[in-house]
Amino acid sequence: MASAHPINRKLQTEFAASLVLLAFVGVLPAFVTNAYWQGVVVVSMYFAMLAVAWNILAGYTGQFSLAPAAFGMIGAYTTGLLSYYYGLTAIVGVPAAIVVAGVIGLVLGRIVLRLRGPYLALTTLSFAEIMRLVISNSIDFTRGDLGLNVPGIFDSRLAYYYMMLAVLLAIQVGLFYLLRSRAGLYLRAIRDDEIAAASRGVLIVYWKTFAFTLSAAICGLAGALYGHFAQFVSPELGLLSQTGVVISMVVIGGLGTMVGPIGGALLVYVLSEFLRDFGNYQLVVFAFLVIIFARFFREGLWGLLLAAFGRPGRPAAAATAAE
Amino acid sequence: MPCLAIDHVSKSFGGLKALDNASFSLEAGELVGLIGPNGSGKTTLLNILSGHLSCDSGTVRLDGKPITGLHPEALARRGVLRMFQLTRSFPRMSAFDNLLVTGCALGLTLPGAEKRALGLLEDLSLTRIMNLNAGQLSGGQQKLLEFGSCFMVPPRIALLDEPFAAVHPTLKEIMSGFIRRRHAEGQTFIVVSHDLPVIVELCPRSVCMNAGRVIADESTRAVLTDKVVIEAYLGEAAA
Repeated sequence: MASAHPINRKLQTEFAASLVLLAFVGVLPAFVTNAYWQGVVVVSMYFAMLAVAWNILAGYTGQFSLAPAAFGMIGAYTTGLLSYYYGLTAIVGVPAAIVVAGVIGLVLGRIVLRLRGPYLALTTLSFAEIMRLVISNSIDFTRGDLGLNVPGIFDSRLAYYYMMLAVLLAIQVGLFYLLRSRAGLYLRAIRDDEIAAASRGVLIVYWKTFAFTLSAAICGLAGALYGHFAQFVSPELGLLSQTGVVISMVVIGGLGTMVGPIGGALLVYVLSEFLRDFGNYQLVVFAFLVIIFARFFREGLWGLLLAAFGRPGRPAAAATAAE
Repeated sequence: MPCLAIDHVSKSFGGLKALDNASFSLEAGELVGLIGPNGSGKTTLLNILSGHLSCDSGTVRLDGKPITGLHPEALARRGVLRMFQLTRSFPRMSAFDNLLVTGCALGLTLPGAEKRALGLLEDLSLTRIMNLNAGQLSGGQQKLLEFGSCFMVPPRIALLDEPFAAVHPTLKEIMSGFIRRRHAEGQTFIVVSHDLPVIVELCPRSVCMNAGRVIADESTRAVLTDKVVIEAYLGEAAA
């Protein structure tokens, strides 16, 4: 019965597509043996985690946050500072990053609880900038813009590659089970109409805070793993332009779908490597793409793919876009 | 003890007294029509009963316990379910999921809610469109869906704000038939409507409001022939 249920069918299709995508990423090193390009895919998986986390908020709960990169930075600095000051390894640093980012996400979630639309976006934007400036200016504590060296976890690039892949897969599986449960119903109800959801007994405060905490914790995890991979963290991780990249990935891939953020992250980041020679013009290209997708293809590439294979998906009116 | 007791409730918006010492009460199982000209305070009262507004003074009691000032989610969990005058649904979720949200939020398990939702969809002749997103439904169907979601878990009291406004006669008949059956089973209702023929047909008792005050509260027929009520609707000359 539960599997015949249409939302579950939609989720299952998207989940299956994302697994295919991750399987493709899994076999990729067999063909892409160049360490540089393997590194590019590792970084794109970092962005994929941020994109998945942001999609929980914007795509499934309707909360347009501008802080995913800031939470990634918080996670990276948590493990970075723990190793710098106390010599703690990733075994402690990564879980600590999840907890610290999660707790800060919870606090931010409570603060912005009653804010919507542009007010929410502006508050999370201010938060992100404050966080970045605090880290960048606390030179005695964080070494400021010099950044921190972080010890690596593995010697081999492939080990990082498969660690990132395994974590991304675990996040995706967890999210799938979350979204097909009652929690998924509540989050989408809040996204569609908060007042209606409240008047039907949905605990708005609880579920919005939950979504913020979960999203921030995933970003924290992603940031910490990235820090250990890059063996270096700096306030640049929290730049607003990084959040812009995350948003463009989700919008191009397909907002409010399970596969969109991952597909978008891989595509945009790998593509941006090709566009690197054009310097900052790559941002112009992505910004332009975001405008095109947001205006004409609300379900992103995933929606286009569904349409191309004869499944009209859902009409544009029902497209999943954050307000 | 009355199921719902509204006791001297007042609410002002700036200089406008939207509710002025409004009082009445309902026994469990009653089906009460709430009527009155536009701007008489019906929706304001419903907003207070469902927790969307707080009142300036007075108390509301559900089964003897004060519920004034509780949030909508807390009231829904105590069984005060409300249908809005301007339909509110979850437009990007299927009709089926719309019902599941209420069922699960009010304590049903997912399989339990699915079973209940299928039954309700059948009851309201919405089975055909259950997989469409609520935003794709006609206005009347959306109303019917919101109406249905009030009954996913039998509420202690259902507050229906203009359920019949701008609804196709067939859908209207489905709704009033549903209300009649549930009333016969002991469900308590307040129905706000301008559709007086339906009120006469459905509600044994009516409360009429004007300018924030309760001006009549007796059997529906008596209310509609009450001189004060006619005056409120049509002006002094008509009375």
